[in-house]
Amino acid sequence: MTLARDTSFAYAVGRIRALETRLLDRSKLERMIDAASADEAIKILAETDYGSAVAELAAVHDFEEILQREMALTLAELEKMSPQKDLIALMRLRYDVLNLKILLKAKYLQVKAELLLPLGTVPLSTLQAMVDEERFRDLPGPLRSALDRIMEEFPLTRDPQMIDLALDRVLFEQLMAEAARLQSPFLKGLFARQIDLINLKTFIRVKRMERDRDFFKKAVLPGGRLPLDRLISLFDEPLDALHGQLSRTDYATLIEEGVRGWMEKGSSALLEKLADDYITTYLQRGKRSAFGPEPLIGYLWAKEIEVKNIRLILVGKINKLSADAIRERLRDVYL
Amino acid sequence: MEIRVNPTRMELNRLKKRLSMARRGHKLLKDKQDELIRQFILLVRKNKELRERIEQELAGAFAEFLLARAVMPLEVLEEALMYPTRDFALSVHKQNIMSVYVPRFSWQEKTAEQGDAGIYPYGFVDTSAELDISIETLSGIMPELLELAQLEKAVELLAAEIEKTRRRVNALEHVLIPKIEETIRYIAMKLDENERGALTRLMKIKDVVRAKT
Repeated sequence: MTLARDTSFAYAVGRIRALETRLLDRSKLERMIDAASADEAIKILAETDYGSAVAELAAVHDFEEILQREMALTLAELEKMSPQKDLIALMRLRYDVLNLKILLKAKYLQVKAELLLPLGTVPLSTLQAMVDEERFRDLPGPLRSALDRIMEEFPLTRDPQMIDLALDRVLFEQLMAEAARLQSPFLKGLFARQIDLINLKTFIRVKRMERDRDFFKKAVLPGGRLPLDRLISLFDEPLDALHGQLSRTDYATLIEEGVRGWMEKGSSALLEKLADDYITTYLQRGKRSAFGPEPLIGYLWAKEIEVKNIRLILVGKINKLSADAIRERLRDVYL
Repeated sequence: MEIRVNPTRMELNRLKKRLSMARRGHKLLKDKQDELIRQFILLVRKNKELRERIEQELAGAFAEFLLARAVMPLEVLEEALMYPTRDFALSVHKQNIMSVYVPRFSWQEKTAEQGDAGIYPYGFVDTSAELDISIETLSGIMPELLELAQLEKAVELLAAEIEKTRRRVNALEHVLIPKIEETIRYIAMKLDENERGALTRLMKIKDVVRAKT
C-alpha cells in the first residue's frame, strides 16, 4: 500500500488549516516568558486552547498532565481525520519504544514501572504483559528481534545504555522502512533529516564523553542522508574538521553556529534549538500542499514543538530561570 | 557546701589524696580539651572550605539539570535515569582522634559487570546533551560529597566530645576541687580546734593538780 496522493487527504488538510490557526503564536509565548510568575504564565495559557485543561489543574507543578493530554488529543484527532490510520500509528511508534524502554528497565530493576506515556499504538497493559511474559510476537518484526536480543544480552552485560541504543536504532530503522513502504519521499526526507541531526549531536556528545570510535559506531543511527562511514571516519579528527566536511551540506550553518555556541558557552542549547528549527523549516515547505499527508505531519510536529516550548517556559518560570535562558532555548513556531 | 565527713586525720589524708588526683585529672582533661579544640578547628576549616566548594558546584549542577529538565519531557528524563550504570560500594572504618572514633569511608565505584558502560545510562535520541553535562558534574562531585559527609560527621562527633570534656573540666574546676578544698579546710580547722581543746584541757588539769598539792 502506498500513501494516497489524491483528494482523500483534502478533508483532513482542510481541518488542519482550521486547527493551525489555534496554535500558540510567538507573541503568546513571549507573554508567558515575560510573566511575573509561573501562576501568571499559566493564566496566559488559560486564555488559549489549553483553557479547559488548565481549569482542571490542581497545582502548577502538574502541568505535565496538560501537555500529555494535549498530545493525546492531538494524536487522536489526527487519527480520526487521517484517511490513512497507519500514518499516525507510525508517528506513535516512538512512544511505544519509550514505554518499552521504561518497562524493560523496570523489569530488570524489579520495580513497578511508573510514568508510562499512554500515547503509543499498543495499550500499556498489553505492553506490560508482553514484557512480563517476554513474548513479543505481536510487535513488528525488527522490534521483536531487537527485544529478543536485549533479553538475551542484557543479563550478561547489565548495561542499560544498550537497551536505549538498540531500541532507538530499531525505531528509526522501522520508521525508514515504513516510509519506504508508503513510498513517501516526504516522510523519508523527514526521518532521514532527524537521523542526521541526532547523529551530529551524538557525534559531539560522544566526543565530549571521551568515548572511542567503536562506541560511536554503536551509537550512530543508519539511514540518514550523511554517509555513515564518513561520519565515523571523521570521528578521530578534531571537531573543527566536522563543519569543514559539512560545509557543502545544508547542515552547514546549523553546525557552525551550534558548535560554536556549544564551545563558547559550554551548552548544547543553541545546537538543539537549531536542530528542531531545521525540522520545522523542512516541514513548513510541505505545509501548503493540499493533497498529501504533509500538513498533518507538520501539524503534529507543530504541536510537539508547542508542547516543548510550554514545558520549557513553565519549568523555567517555576524555577525562576532568567527570561534570557528561556528565550535562548525557545524553538521557532511552525506558523 | 563542704562534703559531710568525719573530721578525722584519716579522712583528711584521704581527701588530700583525692584533691591531688582531681587536680591531675583536671590538668589532663584540660590538655585533652585543648588538643580536641585544635583538631576541631583544623577539621572545621577544612569542612567549611569543602562545603563552600561543593555547594557552589552543586548549585551549578542543579542549574544544568534544571535546563535538561526544561527541554525533556518528564517521562523521557525518568526513563533516561532510571537504571544507573554505577554501583557504589561504601565501607566504613573507624579512625581514632583523641579517643573519639570518627568514621573513615572508603568507596569503590563499580561499573556494570561487563561491557564498556560509561556513566551515562541512556541513549542519545530523545535525551538532551544538557543532561550529559549535569550527569558529568554530578558524577565528579560524588567523591567530594562522601568526603564532606565524613568530615561533617567527624566534626559533629568531635564537637560532642569537646562539650563533654568541657563539662568535666568545669565540674572538676568549679565544683569538685573547691568542694574538696573546703572540706580539707574544715577538717583542718576542726582538728586544730580539737587540738586546742585538748591543750586547754591539759593546762586546766595541770592547774587543778598543781592547786591540790
